[in-house]
Amino acid sequence: MKIFIVNGAESFFTAVFIAYKEKDCIITSDGDVQLSLGCEVVRVAADGEKCGRIVNAIKKYDGEALYDISLVLRSCDPLKEQTVFGYIKRLFNSRAPVKKAMNLPEVVDFNDLLYKVNGETHRLKGLLRFMECEGGALYAPYSPDNDVTDLLMQHFAERFKSERFIIHDLKRKIAGMYDGHEWFTGYAEEAEVQLSKYERGFENLWKKYYKAVNIIERPHDKQMKRSMPVRYWKFLPEKQ
Amino acid sequence: MLDAEKLEILTESAKYDVSCSSSGSARVNRNGGLGNGSVGGICHSFTPDGRCISLLKILMSNDCVYDCEYCPNRRSADVPRARITPDEICELVINFYKRNYIEGLFLSSAVFESPDKTMELLLETVTKLRKLYNFNGYIHLKGIPHADALLVHRASKIVDRMSYNIELPSENSLKLLAPQKTKRSLLLPMKDLRDAIICDKENKVRRGRVLPAGQTTQMIIGASPETDGQILKLTQALYRNMNLRRVYYSSYIPVVQSSKLPAVGAGLLREHRLYQADWLIRFYGFDVDEIVGENQNLSPEYDPKCAWALRNMHLFPVEINTAPLATLLRVPGIGAKSAYKIIEARKFAALDYDNLVKMRVVLKRAKHFITCKGKFYGSENELQVKTSLLLAGRSEVNEQTSMFSETSVAVSALTGQL
Repeated sequence: MKIFIVNGAESFFTAVFIAYKEKDCIITSDGDVQLSLGCEVVRVAADGEKCGRIVNAIKKYDGEALYDISLVLRSCDPLKEQTVFGYIKRLFNSRAPVKKAMNLPEVVDFNDLLYKVNGETHRLKGLLRFMECEGGALYAPYSPDNDVTDLLMQHFAERFKSERFIIHDLKRKIAGMYDGHEWFTGYAEEAEVQLSKYERGFENLWKKYYKAVNIIERPHDKQMKRSMPVRYWKFLPEKQ
Repeated sequence: MLDAEKLEILTESAKYDVSCSSSGSARVNRNGGLGNGSVGGICHSFTPDGRCISLLKILMSNDCVYDCEYCPNRRSADVPRARITPDEICELVINFYKRNYIEGLFLSSAVFESPDKTMELLLETVTKLRKLYNFNGYIHLKGIPHADALLVHRASKIVDRMSYNIELPSENSLKLLAPQKTKRSLLLPMKDLRDAIICDKENKVRRGRVLPAGQTTQMIIGASPETDGQILKLTQALYRNMNLRRVYYSSYIPVVQSSKLPAVGAGLLREHRLYQADWLIRFYGFDVDEIVGENQNLSPEYDPKCAWALRNMHLFPVEINTAPLATLLRVPGIGAKSAYKIIEARKFAALDYDNLVKMRVVLKRAKHFITCKGKFYGSENELQVKTSLLLAGRSEVNEQTSMFSETSVAVSALTGQL
């Protein structure tokens, strides 16, 4: 059995091109993949032409699939490439959109990952917390399950049009920066920030508000944790 | 910076208002301002009572000239009073918004001095927030009954949503418990706003539309003798005639001692059942008369859709691969999302039971009411069906109580102010 190791979207689509005719194979970006006896490891370099042919074919059969695929490839699931591969095969077989064909197991798996990435992005639009730094820029450290920093950048660049801000994924060491006009993402080690002199004050007001708005006679911890899982609390001032 | 103690008092007074949604408005961030609307709404935090924080919910003042029996802020109550200025509110909103603590503002107030004076200051606040602070996030403003129609109209062009709380489901109860409010003072502005919204829609107004996120209202359940049937009749009329986006229910809790009010709370199950019936009216094509009789209450044992299905067993089972959408929506346990998923998936292939399981359609209840490719997976015996549904329902009730840990302290939100 062949194992195709990919690095990045272009390399992934190239691998799809190569692996399409293989009977039994695995596509993964996981460098630590468990090798069993008789496995052949192939590292796939990006190939513009092969990648382009796959991408064009996907576009031809379903105009929206490429965007969905780009979302699923941000997932933290170790089998995400394999799931997308299965989905693409189904798409090529039917030569028409398959997103709603929930009778197919590959489509169900693909939609599950899609749901998780979209779900976390939506959740973080609410749970991300900015701190005001000296000079007025806003800084939001976080560590999401999936690689969603640029999705959040789009959202906040629209919302905070005239602000300058940074969204910093500490887990992947990626930061998105917006300077009031444009945004971009790049590699970023841990940062040291100087908070503005008002920051602690507003943080305290927020904590007071959080406490006061709760109806104490009606406790429902389970519901709170279901909607706001504990792993996100680390960056929420109201939960410190 | 705002005084923390004031913030606490005015939040404590506002927290019983149930409405928390920030959905329905796609307001665009113009002129390099701060904020925009998100049509689906965004929750920013969750409190230990399981409710979400989406908007900064706050009263401008809790010093009320009215004396409504059920209200913790009524004139005769002995509670600390506070009031904040429009600028203090604006500054707080902007700073909370920038840190992504909130999605916008939910501003309400006790009636101080006069309804007009109160409404004027509320209007001044939201105008400042939009014009001076260039804030384009979500604003929900509470309407003050008896305030001048012109003030209300001006506010409606600035904010995303407004609400007049009906509070009590009949005119008699309103007279008894909130004598300073009349049915007219609540319904008339609601009607005016509805007309203004329709007018904007017909004229295809795009910028500065009246209330893009519409109107909502809230009722207290169990403080007065109305039945679920009467309450839901009113609800349906509000949806159909007033075009309301939501009707909120809050089960009564005896926080206020009064001979005119019951000594015990209404319980959360009743509130839960009302919400279920509300959803059936809005999203599942039910008419209130199918759900409950005028002078009846909803069944505590079965959810309203299940109760309806058990009364209409001759309509079931339905074949999952051929039943139209409207029929699928009436199968107990199948929600709107599942129904749409089934409709789409069966275009590709006939679905069997395992397909439904893999699609995560909940079949605990549904299996007694459907066939898949002609095969029935439920129980033939009607009595057995009822028992197992009761058991299925039991776990739901259990979850309800665990929601509020101990039944004895299970009290629910009560509307705090108007």
